[in-house]
Amino acid sequence: MENFASLIQGFSVALAPENVFVCLLGAVLGLVVGAMPGIGSLAGVALLLPLTYKFNPTTAIIMLGALYYSNMYGGSFSAILLNIPGDSPAITTALDGYPMAKHGRPGPALVAANVASFIGGTIGILILTLTASGLASLGLKFGYAEMTLVLLIAMTSISWLIGENPVKGIIITMLGILVASIGMDTLSGAPRYEFGNMYLLGGVPFTPFIIGCVGFAQVIKLINEREADEQKRQSEERKVKLSIRESMLTGHDFKRILPPVLRSGVLGTFVGVLPGSGATTGSMVGYAMQKKFKSEQPLGTGAIEGIAASEAANNAAAAGAFAPLLALGIPGSGTGAVLLGGLMMWGLNPGPLLFDTNPEFCWGLISSLYVANVFTLLVAILVIPFLIKILSVPVKYMIPIIVCVCIVGAYSTSQSMYGVIVMFISGIVGYLLEKNGFPTAPMLLAFVLAPMLEKNMRKAFIASQGSLKVFVDSPLKLVLLAIFLVLVLTPVVKAIRKKLSAKKAA
Amino acid sequence: MEKKSHVQVVIPVVTAIISLIFIGTGLVSYGFWDQQPTPGFFPIIIAVVLLAASILCIVQLLRSGDDKPVKYTKAELMVILGGGAVIVGTYLIGLVASCLLFIIAWLRIVERAPWKAVIVIEVVMAAIILGVFVTWLQVRFPVGLLGEMFL
Repeated sequence: MENFASLIQGFSVALAPENVFVCLLGAVLGLVVGAMPGIGSLAGVALLLPLTYKFNPTTAIIMLGALYYSNMYGGSFSAILLNIPGDSPAITTALDGYPMAKHGRPGPALVAANVASFIGGTIGILILTLTASGLASLGLKFGYAEMTLVLLIAMTSISWLIGENPVKGIIITMLGILVASIGMDTLSGAPRYEFGNMYLLGGVPFTPFIIGCVGFAQVIKLINEREADEQKRQSEERKVKLSIRESMLTGHDFKRILPPVLRSGVLGTFVGVLPGSGATTGSMVGYAMQKKFKSEQPLGTGAIEGIAASEAANNAAAAGAFAPLLALGIPGSGTGAVLLGGLMMWGLNPGPLLFDTNPEFCWGLISSLYVANVFTLLVAILVIPFLIKILSVPVKYMIPIIVCVCIVGAYSTSQSMYGVIVMFISGIVGYLLEKNGFPTAPMLLAFVLAPMLEKNMRKAFIASQGSLKVFVDSPLKLVLLAIFLVLVLTPVVKAIRKKLSAKKAA
Repeated sequence: MEKKSHVQVVIPVVTAIISLIFIGTGLVSYGFWDQQPTPGFFPIIIAVVLLAASILCIVQLLRSGDDKPVKYTKAELMVILGGGAVIVGTYLIGLVASCLLFIIAWLRIVERAPWKAVIVIEVVMAAIILGVFVTWLQVRFPVGLLGEMFL
């Protein structure tokens, strides 16, 4: 009940004219960027991050939240109409969305995706409303040692979950931590690893680094997709005309989507809360679960249930990911890491204390997610007649545009060419890493979490006078340590078992 | 126009070198422990883990034969060179002019886009840079040597 009272207060923040405006702006921009094939929510949020610098922290993060959230909606547009998922959570949407569009029902497929996103997202935000402050209260009981273990779990889980080779995940995570340690020591403020360079004294700037790693790296890869994009467009060159009236769902459609939406909404939220899982895992789990239930037509052939399950789960996961982000300061995904970095830039310290020190911010943000959800649904439906036009921008035209947005964005956030050079170098490094099978998302997460991990770990050691017992002297710490060890050892055990079974087979 | 390179193993080799630099610099300049953890404590531990993981990765790649050639295309290099050209151009003619010039050059030379598309994209980008960044966010972009001569 207390949570709902705080939520109502939060609405007074979220419904301030400036916040409503940025929420709407974020919803529109997020939809457009999310609809552009090949950009994705991570790059989308990173590229649009500089636009939020004009605002106060609450307004800025409300805009970012709306951006992130509406990106999830936008990803389904190109998946349904062009069979090109706007980002990875929309992959499962394309499996049924595109066949449904081919069967002559592109409009209802889009509306089904939008309605499922809305309901799934609402379930996610409701669960966030009920649990976030409770999670923060639990977090308040955490000392330095517990926080160290929680942060280690967050970093480890994302390294294991992304990419097929855990060793590569460890390398990339450690690299992210080392990059973050350049500049100033987190406790004493003394210069560290600046190698005599005055620019490095201030550390590696967050926004240009992120824009480079995901935005510029993405555009280098994107160029290889332009021919495939062109071919696909030529083969899909249809004179499809979409209207809102023809896109509306029938009562029968609605009956078909409701059960999968409700199931996937709840499941997706809990998937989103887990560190490292994010919206992509959410949509895949939601779609996989729908396979276990009856659909009117088989999944993969244009079943509206498949679209609903996938979209409800990914939006619920996007909302669920805010719970550990706000309550514990732990992002669930690469995009969450960008949001966390944004919070830190505006001087907010995400974690258990945030609900105590900045309740208007926390509840304002949660309330704004409800507002963003409604706005995004409205904009997503109103934009349907113009979608074909928006999606007709070919990949080849987007390349110079994104390059310039990266450069302009990096300069505007750092007010110096140093930021542009950091963006450029980190873009090339990010591209080389991705090209060689080293996922960059764990590096971003590690980069953001490293200062917190170092501070907590060193303080734990100072308090215990160097004794390692500080990490095992309570049942809670033992449980956290056990989770950490399971996460570390599972891939090792799997690899050994795989080798043994291969030997047996030989 | 594709070029294949056995670069997969180069990445862990580079990360191993980076870790050695961090360990060496950390031990020499920042210390590890002096009654309590010193500024070098945390990065040294991380660098040691990075070194171990890099060695393991090198061994894995070499023993399993997974070090497959990675394909690099000329087009990818063009994007990097394009970005580099805008940065160099910024020092000469300023950031905004470099960006707008790059868009025209890229669309006309690389993509052979029609002038109509070029003009539309150019106008939209100019409106975004000048309207959003210069006017709204009040970012003062560098004007370059040429701009400094005239302004």
